[in-house]
Amino acid sequence: MSSIAEVLAQAQELLYLEAHHLDQKQWTEWVEMYTQDAIFWMPSWINETETTSHPETELNLLYLNGRSHLEDRVYRLQTEDSFASVPSARTVHLVSNIRLIEAHDEHTVLKATWIVHSYGLHGPLTRAGFYDYTLKRVDGALRIAYKKVTLIDDKLIGAVDIFHV
Amino acid sequence: MMNSSTDFKHWIVDEPHQFKVNRAIYTDEAVFNLEMEHIFEKSWTYVAHESQIKSHGDYVSTRIGRQPVFVIRLGDGSIAAHLNSCSHRGATLMPHESGNAKAIRCRFHGWTFSPNGQCLVVKNEDSGAYPDESFKKHQALTSVARLETYRGFVFASLSGNVPPLKDWLKGSKDWIDCLVDQSPEGLEIVKGASTYTLYGNWKLQAENGVDGYHVSTVHRVFATTIANREGKNPLKDLKQTEAGRITGQVPSGSYDFGNGHMGIWTERSKPQVHPLWIQKERLEKEFSAEKVEWMLYRTRNLFLFPNAFLMDNPSTQIRTMQPISANVCEVTVRCIAPVGESLQARAARLRKFEDFYLTTGMATSDDLAALEAVHEGSRAANSPWNTFARGVKAIQHSGEGELNMSQEPPEVSTANWDHEVIYHGFYRAWKALIQKGQAA
Repeated sequence: MSSIAEVLAQAQELLYLEAHHLDQKQWTEWVEMYTQDAIFWMPSWINETETTSHPETELNLLYLNGRSHLEDRVYRLQTEDSFASVPSARTVHLVSNIRLIEAHDEHTVLKATWIVHSYGLHGPLTRAGFYDYTLKRVDGALRIAYKKVTLIDDKLIGAVDIFHV
Repeated sequence: MMNSSTDFKHWIVDEPHQFKVNRAIYTDEAVFNLEMEHIFEKSWTYVAHESQIKSHGDYVSTRIGRQPVFVIRLGDGSIAAHLNSCSHRGATLMPHESGNAKAIRCRFHGWTFSPNGQCLVVKNEDSGAYPDESFKKHQALTSVARLETYRGFVFASLSGNVPPLKDWLKGSKDWIDCLVDQSPEGLEIVKGASTYTLYGNWKLQAENGVDGYHVSTVHRVFATTIANREGKNPLKDLKQTEAGRITGQVPSGSYDFGNGHMGIWTERSKPQVHPLWIQKERLEKEFSAEKVEWMLYRTRNLFLFPNAFLMDNPSTQIRTMQPISANVCEVTVRCIAPVGESLQARAARLRKFEDFYLTTGMATSDDLAALEAVHEGSRAANSPWNTFARGVKAIQHSGEGELNMSQEPPEVSTANWDHEVIYHGFYRAWKALIQKGQAA
């Protein structure tokens, strides 16, 4: 059993590595960080204070249920046939305020906050929000089993892809 | 500059063998002001869906043209819409996008109004030393001039000089019916929405939603992505996504309904993967063979002039436009779905919606980038003309050769959704309303 400090350090390193892969557009390395049954969820806003909370009956900005759906997004980016993705924006992810919510042998629950600064067709843009993660150990390696992105912005400017948040 | 005696020939050339518009109409703020004054603020616009305001006091805030408005359910079940502006000093009364208010209290000086717009309370009225005792009686909110609904869709006009809504909508009503009749209980807006800011003119968005011609280029990547997904990992039933319309393998067509309303349709390549397929038996029992064909076997994109789309292709949506300036338009995307459909159908509808219709999805994002490229390119004033020539030799009138549902045939139709002649109708309606406004 690792100490809390070790668990937190490993989780933090994983979040930073994910940010690195996204900012470097290392899509294949990025998607391999996820478990096969991973969920990547970005709810939409119902009003000024509430986001959607029931993906099966409410509208989400993204609800990618299974790594294969994350692979769809990677496939589309790699075709270079997407009007919105060529030329692609440069991004920097800042991940901060990482808090360990639950630590178990096989999985870890975390909260964090993020700011992504991008530069592209619309010039400089900054978006921000919250992350909720569940990390799982699969064959000894720590993987992302669940990632919920709460994007605080609305009236979105430009396309918002998996690497803008 | 367009002025009170606008000479439209600089903006639209409408001749038997050519139809073109000057791209300056997308970027010129003077044109924008005329559109707001004479089209958006003097004609019918879509303002809300009844499912958003079910109970007494439920409201949604929106705008008609440049003017802030709220739409509210009254105690007797009827619907009203008022300018979202206190009669006292003009502060917006509804600070939220939506909510419930049975008494509407201004947060500035505390005046209070009933949902029907009547002024109930002038704060400290007794010490107000008003010029006459009936002062409060004359402080009601300013209501829209006309408000009518068609099958749950609420439309309003700031001018009383408009035809009845049913007449205004013309044959587009058939296409609205095809959506509403997907449940005996009508439609509802699903919780959640997304608004995006288009750095481009609202008319580019209007054209885009009924532009079949861009689909096989801009959305080719959507089709290849879906093909890759389903090739790698065969999906069952409603989890599949049809892409036949993108690769151009299916019959299609385009409609100019008149009054600027436009539609495009395609045959569905896999109707059995549409969430409505589960209801096939009921539809065949209740509706004519022609209508079932339209509902179940065809995709339909409908533009309701000047500010709303109703789409039924892989999923179902209502998309509304709020022009901000010539160069900026806010677009809100909502899922609209049959009330009471199965959880399986609802979930499938939502997943297909998220795949395609959002700027976080894999198609609307590409549309947005394309429209912004067009807007930027429209600044190339030395090459000013957009020629809408595709389909000129294929024009049919009065719905000839079409699968008719009703007595209100389109002005023009063609048997190909790639055709651009429906924009002729859009721009004729655009011009007619500006001219009508200027003549008044």
